[in-house]
Amino acid sequence: MKRFAAVLMGLALVGTFGTAALAAAPADTLAEAKKKGVLVAGVKDSLPPFGYVDEKSREIVGYDIDFVKAIARKLNVKLELKPVTSASRMPQLTEGNIDIIAATMTKNPERAKQIGFSHTYFATGQKFITNKGKVKSLKDLEGKKIGTAKGSTSEQNVKTAIPTATVLAFDDYPQAFLALQQGKVAAVTTDEAILAGILAKAPNKAKFEIPPVQISNEPYGLGMRKDDAKFIAFVDKTILEMEKSGEAKKIFEKWFGKGTDFQLKRTFKITADK
Amino acid sequence: MLKYTFDWSIVTSGKYFEWLVSGMKITLELSAVGIIGAFVLGLLIAVMKMSHFRPLRWIASAYLEFFRNTPLLIQIFFWYFGSYKVLPTVVNDWLNSTNFEFAAAAIALTIYTSAFIAEDIRSGILSIPREQMEAARSAGFSYLRSMQYIILPQAVRITVPPLVNQFLNLAKNSSLAMTIGVMELTYQARQVESYTFKGFEAFTAATVVYLVLSVSITAFMDQYNKRVLNPHRA
Repeated sequence: MKRFAAVLMGLALVGTFGTAALAAAPADTLAEAKKKGVLVAGVKDSLPPFGYVDEKSREIVGYDIDFVKAIARKLNVKLELKPVTSASRMPQLTEGNIDIIAATMTKNPERAKQIGFSHTYFATGQKFITNKGKVKSLKDLEGKKIGTAKGSTSEQNVKTAIPTATVLAFDDYPQAFLALQQGKVAAVTTDEAILAGILAKAPNKAKFEIPPVQISNEPYGLGMRKDDAKFIAFVDKTILEMEKSGEAKKIFEKWFGKGTDFQLKRTFKITADK
Repeated sequence: MLKYTFDWSIVTSGKYFEWLVSGMKITLELSAVGIIGAFVLGLLIAVMKMSHFRPLRWIASAYLEFFRNTPLLIQIFFWYFGSYKVLPTVVNDWLNSTNFEFAAAAIALTIYTSAFIAEDIRSGILSIPREQMEAARSAGFSYLRSMQYIILPQAVRITVPPLVNQFLNLAKNSSLAMTIGVMELTYQARQVESYTFKGFEAFTAATVVYLVLSVSITAFMDQYNKRVLNPHRA
């Protein structure tokens, strides 16, 4: 019985600390950021070309970073970048550690219940990397093991599209790709733009390909706290202006266009899509 | 002030509840396989380490030092990714067609924990004064019978508390298996968090399961110690 009491006390302690940690997040980021003179953005730091550490400058650069840079410039405050993972970015935002998420985050209704999204600033679709010539359609992946990274929406999409497949979620994409190279999985799946980035860096890329099989649309949005209406409106307005001035297109071409490893075509425009 | 509304229903019923239950099953399986395997292997290594045959002792020492002194996470990666480089293609193809993720995690947990268990068992046996063995031998018991009737019954009693520690560590360490895609409890709790953002509820549920598992192991070993090993003291 004594042990039980100890366990209960432990739980109570956890509860107290947990509740305390959930307490301090500003509801008006716009005013708060101007007052402090700094905007804190949660970004990926190992996912070229969205957010990764540049080998020469040792700084985080990428498509996502250029967007938050533009927003900070418009706000006339300094930008601070904090690396986040797919699993940590939402709690970091709601707990007030970061003010905005620019980390390849797909907009979906489940997430929209918890946080506020900007208009779509990047659009892609979920595809697969496989061994060359092995996969012509979804049928070829039935009953196979498919790798992806934890905390992403990719997993559920595969389960819906190919119910007979087994999904293995690794800690990060490089591990999932290693599993593909070793034949442990038949394919690695996630958004095409990320796959293109993995493939571009792969040492033996000639063996692999991204077949034209798409299982979902993935519109990326910048994430902000849900009750932060003024800041959300400000970000929306800023990125719409960036589209109009051509800056958004320029950023896309810089990271994905001709002359890059990705060679993607811009098939979307930033519009008021909410 | 952030408004966070608790919604415990997601972890007590429905789809996410099923995820957590399936994760719990795999955690239980991993723990059971690991505890039995690590105990048997640990006993074997302890005996080898105390053998009078030197090469056996050396092998046991090398095993102990290597597996006690490298991180478990690296050992899991070693068995899962590293084994690929040394095994022939046929074996790799066969392994990859099976549930190799679970097997690699179980092997890593078993071997890692067995090194600690071996030392616990060995120190238990060494704690029995040598005179007892000598007395038993001069009373006419053979070496094996002396071990069976005099030394081991006392040694096992001493070994139980540290063994419980190792079993508890193993049950909790099993959460590292999620790094290679084994869908155990912590993995499922994280999945529930990514889909619902109710991480607080999901991890509380997982915590409760781990607590119940650990407390059950401890209670079982307590009872075993009282009823089976020390029936006269209770």
